Amino acid sequence: MARLQRLDATMRAAMRHFCAVVLAVAAQPALCAAADAVEPALSDADAACLGCHSMEALARSLPDGETLSLHVAAGPYARSVHGAFGCGACHADIDASVHPAQGKDIQSRRQYAIERAEACGLCHADAAERHAGSVHARRAAEGDPLAPLCSGCHGSHAVTPRTAYETCVRCHSADLAAHAKWLPNSRTHHEVVSCAACHAPEAPRMIDLRLHGGAAGWVVEQEGATPFGELARAADADGDGLDALELRGLLQRINRDAPGPRRLRGRVELREDVLAHGLLAREEAIRACDSCHRYGAEPFRNVTVSIVGTDGRPLRYPAKAEILGSALAVESLPEFYAIGGTRSPFLDLLFLLALAGGIGVPAGHMTLKWLFRKHRARRAGSGGE
Amino acid sequence: MAQQASGATERIYVHPLPVRVWHWINALGFIALILTGIQIRYVDLVGLMSFRTAVHLHNWIGFLLIANFFIWLLFYLFTDKIRVYHPELSPMKHFRGTLRQLRYYGYGIFRGDPNPHHVSVYRKFNPLQSMAYQIIMMLVVPLQFFTGLLLWDLHRFAGAVQLFGGVRVVATVHVLCFIFFTGFILVHPYLASLAHPPSRHFKAMITGYEEVEKKPD
Ligand code: HEC
Ligand code: HEC
Ligand code: HEC
Ligand code: HEC
Ligand code: HEC
Ligand code: HEC
Ligand code: HEC
Ligand code: HEM
Repeated sequence: MARLQRLDATMRAAMRHFCAVVLAVAAQPALCAAADAVEPALSDADAACLGCHSMEALARSLPDGETLSLHVAAGPYARSVHGAFGCGACHADIDASVHPAQGKDIQSRRQYAIERAEACGLCHADAAERHAGSVHARRAAEGDPLAPLCSGCHGSHAVTPRTAYETCVRCHSADLAAHAKWLPNSRTHHEVVSCAACHAPEAPRMIDLRLHGGAAGWVVEQEGATPFGELARAADADGDGLDALELRGLLQRINRDAPGPRRLRGRVELREDVLAHGLLAREEAIRACDSCHRYGAEPFRNVTVSIVGTDGRPLRYPAKAEILGSALAVESLPEFYAIGGTRSPFLDLLFLLALAGGIGVPAGHMTLKWLFRKHRARRAGSGGE
Repeated sequence: MAQQASGATERIYVHPLPVRVWHWINALGFIALILTGIQIRYVDLVGLMSFRTAVHLHNWIGFLLIANFFIWLLFYLFTDKIRVYHPELSPMKHFRGTLRQLRYYGYGIFRGDPNPHHVSVYRKFNPLQSMAYQIIMMLVVPLQFFTGLLLWDLHRFAGAVQLFGGVRVVATVHVLCFIFFTGFILVHPYLASLAHPPSRHFKAMITGYEEVEKKPD
């Protein structure tokens, strides 16, 4: 992991450097600002490989009758998180001096994919280790040809952050409907609870409140505008996480400059993305409603406010758990509510008052009637009215 | 009591069958919805049944009561019995009547004053009841049902939830109505028992007939 972080930092620095030099020369700073690198450089070596491999028709037939397409789309590859690493990072076995003349022995597409996916683990040891214990890895080891390897969820040449959940549905669309058998409001749950929040039961979870623009979809951080992190820090006067008032201030500040109304939508997510690989078999999945719908349930104790960053990764700022049940939440968080988890102490108090009143008023009235019984009897006796 | 001693009573038919059927289904349903609602909202404190069971029961009973509500609504819309809700068309008179009734419950009743309201076929409610029931039946109950329906399938009703202001607004309104009904369900039977004998109005809601003092109209 340490190695990955170092690599990560170096890569980002390299990309920024590239951006600064190349685009400043081209006198297009605006473009440069749009992303760390919109169309990052491909090394000469990679360009050489793509000279052949960007041809769509390039393919090879395999002994089992399948065809292995050898096409790699250059643009998406260059824009992917790995674009600047070089083909060799995952294809260390290719020796350019003898390639392609010295063909490799490839039995089937699946066998080839399994071999290549090994490479991911070289840099992502943490993810690989967790994935190795998952139900998918077990099914793959048992020979299930459909069970996903790293590339089955992330792809191989166009890997971008935070797209893997979208691929769950590609393979499991039929299973989603099955949840409705035991889970009411199941479509809503699929919208607001990430699959791993139930299927990686050992991972700690949290509530992520993310900025949404209604019809405009998830709000993405705009270059040039004041960064979200800066606004959040400014709103968080005491620097200990946003409380209900500070959150309202932040939203008012964001909406002042926004082209349309911006609201926060809540999601149950894992506190660490990498834990999403600990997917276990269906029997282990969380199905106890009160693991979320109980006051003070685990996911609701950690809260962040976030926006989608320019690279697709969320930019998060911590908030206090009380904001979920605060009376101000009706205004600040109108689009997030989970029974129990976001219970409001103020409404609890009202409920207690109603109970006390409902019992106290009849009891008090009865007592008064009893106290006045003699008075009534006297009046009735004297023929009153 | 003075007027009771003076005595002659007659039996008048105040609660037609559809109203009685509606009323008892509604009463049991409300109690069940309040209990399951408490279970749903306070899983950490209450252990009558599992959350999931409570949700399913709550939803089924909710739909039953919505259907039941229409028995009540259609009965009043399509019979002249709707007059029981506005025997008095002058708002000022109605308001004064309400005050008079409040004063009776808060003061006169202790002194042994007679109830200022006299039941007749088209005046089965006192002005206070008539006002309270209209607000409850035309505003609070429909609001409770509507918000409950939205919460039942947030995805299907996403558009309506949005118009309402968001899921938290919907749920908060549902909970506020629930709080109101919790108080209501405790006070309502008590008020109904302020008669002579206390079981009189309860019997009337079962048989349909109320015993009333003969009074030259
Ligand atoms: C002259 C065109 C050409 C160039 C340049 C080229 N390749 Fe290939 N590549 C091929 C052909 C043709 C095949 C199929 C070879 C076979 O039948 O075994 C292939 C197969 C592959 C395969 C799949 C089979 C295997 O051996 O793993 C990979 C991976 C690959 N090339 C990567 C690269 C990389 C990385 C580079 C740059 C260092 C590169 N190629 C440069 C033509 C080329
Ligand atoms: C992040 C790792 C990674 C990088 C970087 C990478 N590849 Fe691959 N490549 C893979 C994986 C994994 C597979 C196996 C594909 C699968 O699982 O379907 C693969 C397969 C291939 C294949 C076989 C055909 C196919 O698409 O399955 C070719 C050809 C190939 N890569 C070429 C390249 C070239 C050329 C580059 C550089 C421009 C490159 N790769 C960069 C991971 C990578
Ligand atoms: C040479 C080391 C290396 C190899 C091999 C490699 N990666 Fe990466 N990967 C990285 C680095 C470094 C980053 C972070 C890039 C950045 O921050 O822009 C990254 C980022 C990622 C991300 C996005 C992480 C996020 O923050 O959301 C995913 C997903 C990913 N890699 C999957 C894979 C897969 C799948 C493979 C195999 C096909 C693979 N990686 C192979 C180094 C590697
Ligand atoms: C069943 C689908 C699946 C498989 C298989 C899978 N991942 Fe992931 N991966 C995810 C999900 C889901 C996330 C978290 C959200 C996201 O990035 O989309 C994730 C996140 C990541 C991240 C980013 C972690 C972070 O801390 O930001 C990396 C790196 C990664 N995966 C690498 C791998 C590698 C390497 C493999 C193979 C050993 C692999 N993944 C296999 C689904 C999968
Ligand atoms: C490439 C297709 C593919 C993708 C992508 C994929 N899965 Fe799977 N998944 C499978 C296959 C195949 C199995 C094993 C067959 C089975 O048991 O249904 C499986 C099994 C499972 C199981 C265990 C089911 C059981 O019967 O115990 C769970 C849970 C699961 N997947 C969740 C996910 C989640 C969550 C994601 C996304 C992060 C995901 N899958 C992505 C293909 C996929
Ligand atoms: C609220 C928790 C929860 C969420 C969210 C959730 N699941 Fe499940 N899922 C379960 C439970 C519990 C089961 C086991 C059901 C059973 O055994 O009857 C299950 C079963 C499954 C199965 C096994 C197949 C089946 O038909 O039973 C798959 C595959 C699966 N889920 C995939 C997903 C995917 C993909 C997502 C995200 C889009 C997801 N689940 C979201 C709790 C959840
Ligand atoms: C992993 C956490 C999680 C689990 C487990 C879970 N839920 Fe939920 N549920 C949520 C969240 C979050 C929402 C909020 C949806 C929204 O924002 O509108 C929700 C919404 C609901 C709603 C709609 C009302 C509301 O609060 O917005 C119902 C009803 C519901 N869940 C019932 C259940 C039942 C029954 C179970 C067990 C069978 C269950 N849930 C299990 C997280 C969970
Ligand atoms: C009139 C009596 C009713 C009472 C007292 C009542 C009470 C409650 C309470 C206390 C909750 C928990 C809310 C929370 O904590 O956020 C709840 C939830 C809910 N109510 Fe009601 N409710 C009533 C009627 C209805 C009706 C008519 C429906 C329509 C179907 C309904 C549907 C729902 C739904 C869908 C939920 C979310 C949980 C679930 O699915 O059961 N309610 N109710």
